[in-house]
Amino acid sequence: MSQENMSNDNVESPTEDPTDDDMLLETDVTSGLEEGTQGSRTTHERTIVEAKDVNVWYNQDQALRDITMQVPENKVTAMIGPSGCGKSTFLRCINRMNDMIDAARVEGELYLGEKNVYDDDVDPVALRRRVGMVFQKPNPFPKSIYDNVAYGLNIQDIGGDHDAIVEESLKRAALWDEVKDQLDESGLDLSGGQQQRLCIARAIAPDPEVILMDEPASALDPVATSKIEDLIDELAEDYTVIIVTHNMQQAARISDKTAVFLTGGELVEFGDTKKIFENPDNERVEDYITGKFG
Amino acid sequence: MATEDRRSYADGFGQVSRTVGIIFRYLLLAATLFGIAVLAILLVYVANDAIQPLTADAGWHLTFFLTLVLPSLATGGYLAWSNVDGLKLGAMTLGLFVVGLLFSGGVAIIFLEVLPPLVWFAYVIAFAVPVAVTVGLQQRSRQIPFVSRFALATLAFYLSLFGFPGIVGSYAELPQLIPSVATLILFAPIVPLDWIQLTLTVGVFAATPVALYASAISDRRTGLIAGAAALATVAASAVVGPAVVGVGPIPSVVLASVAVLPTAAYVCGTAVTREQARIGLVLPVVIVAGALAGEVLVDTLGYAGPQSWVDWQFLTSDHSGTAANAGLYPAIAGSILLMLTVAALSFPIGVGAALYLEEYAPDNRYTRFIDVNISNLAGVPSVVYGLLGLGLFVTRLGQSTGTILVGGATLALLILPIVIISSREAIRSVPSEMRQASYGMGATRWQTMKNVVLPRAFPGILTGTILALGRAIGETAPLIMIGAPNVLYSFPSELSSKVSAMPLQVYSWASYFATNDFYEKAVPAGVVVLVTVLLAMNSIAIVLRNRYQRET
Repeated sequence: MSQENMSNDNVESPTEDPTDDDMLLETDVTSGLEEGTQGSRTTHERTIVEAKDVNVWYNQDQALRDITMQVPENKVTAMIGPSGCGKSTFLRCINRMNDMIDAARVEGELYLGEKNVYDDDVDPVALRRRVGMVFQKPNPFPKSIYDNVAYGLNIQDIGGDHDAIVEESLKRAALWDEVKDQLDESGLDLSGGQQQRLCIARAIAPDPEVILMDEPASALDPVATSKIEDLIDELAEDYTVIIVTHNMQQAARISDKTAVFLTGGELVEFGDTKKIFENPDNERVEDYITGKFG
Repeated sequence: MATEDRRSYADGFGQVSRTVGIIFRYLLLAATLFGIAVLAILLVYVANDAIQPLTADAGWHLTFFLTLVLPSLATGGYLAWSNVDGLKLGAMTLGLFVVGLLFSGGVAIIFLEVLPPLVWFAYVIAFAVPVAVTVGLQQRSRQIPFVSRFALATLAFYLSLFGFPGIVGSYAELPQLIPSVATLILFAPIVPLDWIQLTLTVGVFAATPVALYASAISDRRTGLIAGAAALATVAASAVVGPAVVGVGPIPSVVLASVAVLPTAAYVCGTAVTREQARIGLVLPVVIVAGALAGEVLVDTLGYAGPQSWVDWQFLTSDHSGTAANAGLYPAIAGSILLMLTVAALSFPIGVGAALYLEEYAPDNRYTRFIDVNISNLAGVPSVVYGLLGLGLFVTRLGQSTGTILVGGATLALLILPIVIISSREAIRSVPSEMRQASYGMGATRWQTMKNVVLPRAFPGILTGTILALGRAIGETAPLIMIGAPNVLYSFPSELSSKVSAMPLQVYSWASYFATNDFYEKAVPAGVVVLVTVLLAMNSIAIVLRNRYQRET
């Protein structure tokens, strides 16, 4: 088993109650959707990430099977599914973080814009500079808040007014007001929710095109979670956000598109969030969403 | 049916025997106590022989008991009862000062005997100039490509240290056209006084962390003031030391830089930042004041102190045929010089190997083979390393026997596996989330290592290296194998001079010179000094490790 799948098992959200899901679905889904679509976002969808027959193996175990999907630009795309279904693996394919795992092997084509990121001439480090990533557990560096946000600017040798970029990024991450007087203090002194927003600020500071989020709120309390969700909604005005989540209500609230992965690494259904949650084509998806399993 | 069978349990639930378990527990306790007791008795026995407290007058004991022991115990007890943090703070301050004193002794020996302050000053400046050039180039990293910057920095170092054409030219027998910065200073017609040289170098090295510490606590302005004050203190000590305490200007400057400044900075810093605990600073004050008061009282009342063998004469004399005149001075200096050589050799090689194996090496059968063998090498007896040193450095490379360089290199080989293993552990303990975060930001492996892994692993690496050095300082067998002299009457002054070390000196007193006097007095005194130095080194490692663990 891959390390990643095991870690997913450990953080299975304990709060999901199938009956609650059923009752809340109607109201929550629709209200969330209206908020999401009311804004001034373009209705014209341009694809920014496109997967064609992506297969991933960890040694002999196949983690993803023939994934084909198109992620629209400047939208929030959620990936949901039970533990071990490969949704995190797919996320890590996009910025080639799976390259770090010796046992992982990727086949197929995955385009960011016009370019297949698995082409031989792609430098994964250069690719990751165009794609921000936020992890499940808040992981600020043991440096000052300022240095955390400026980390990407420094390593990517981005010029300009770092003070202004740091301030702007912290404002976008809705953290500026809370930390503006303590930029020199360690990022580790913040609360969990603040740390995660700091990680988001760090990810957006170098101005990436796509932001990948791997269950960004699963280690946080409900108040912090709701702040992160609001933040994601705002980020989608300027960035493409792809988010993996265990929490189906969260997916329904914040995403425009939803991909449902089911055990075995299959992408079972992909479409508008509203349709997935109200009227899915696939029976297994319906079972999963209504809480019959997963 | 089942309900009828149910018992009432009116008699309780019965008993389960734990006899074997209890016996086992007390056996373990006995084993632990036995080990500790044997060690403690040995140390007390040695310390008693070395210091001979019973030779002192009863009045002496009584005076110090009343002025030092009783007030210290009372203060310590009060703090332990009311404010444990304060007690820790007080103990830490006192420990810092004592360890600082020991180290300043070592550093002062080097400047007095081995390294003339002018040479040190010249080379510090010769290093500082190109470092400044490199930093300046780094500021313009966007305008100048890396290769040019690297070449310019290398050129700056070469010119500053060797001049032009320098050592390359001397092979081609070209005349020296431009002298190096080091030579310029060494042969300058006017040079500052030696204590000013030391103030400008050692003093600056000590004042910089003080300034950084102060600016971290408060703001930049306070930091600058604190740094300037620290430097002024060091400079003043060179004048005050000889006039008031009767210590020469060089030891005064070293003492102020290595012992007084860090303690003062720690005291001031904690007094500001930890208001709850700062009452604990009373403890070192009580202890120091008590010791001084006791000393004055004993002097005026005319009580005789103990006939200790660990005294100033013992620490500053050379070896002698009679135990009463024998001293440890060349051996102490030899141990210090060996330690410096060992650290300089084993730290870069060991940490480099650890970084490569942990971060870069692929996981295949060759690296696994190397892994296993490094662990095995850590267990090879030290006498075998002595043989290796003899064969490699003396026979193969033609070095003369028993020099600082050969001894240091042999001991460095001995502790290399330990340094590698502990450094790897420190590197491995950096959480993988940190690396992931860095890679996710688009950092290269080098950037991740430089910005995330190394800063985080450094305290652990340092701890492991210091503990390994502690092992090297106690080694005797490799030094005997490489032909280090048993006793030394003169002082080792350069890398190619013969060196003895504390354990070797003690060993020779216990074997070749084993008269009763030596055996009962000089040997225990030597052991006490050796153990004290070891404890001082280990205490630094322990403090580092504790601080490190608290942060993770």
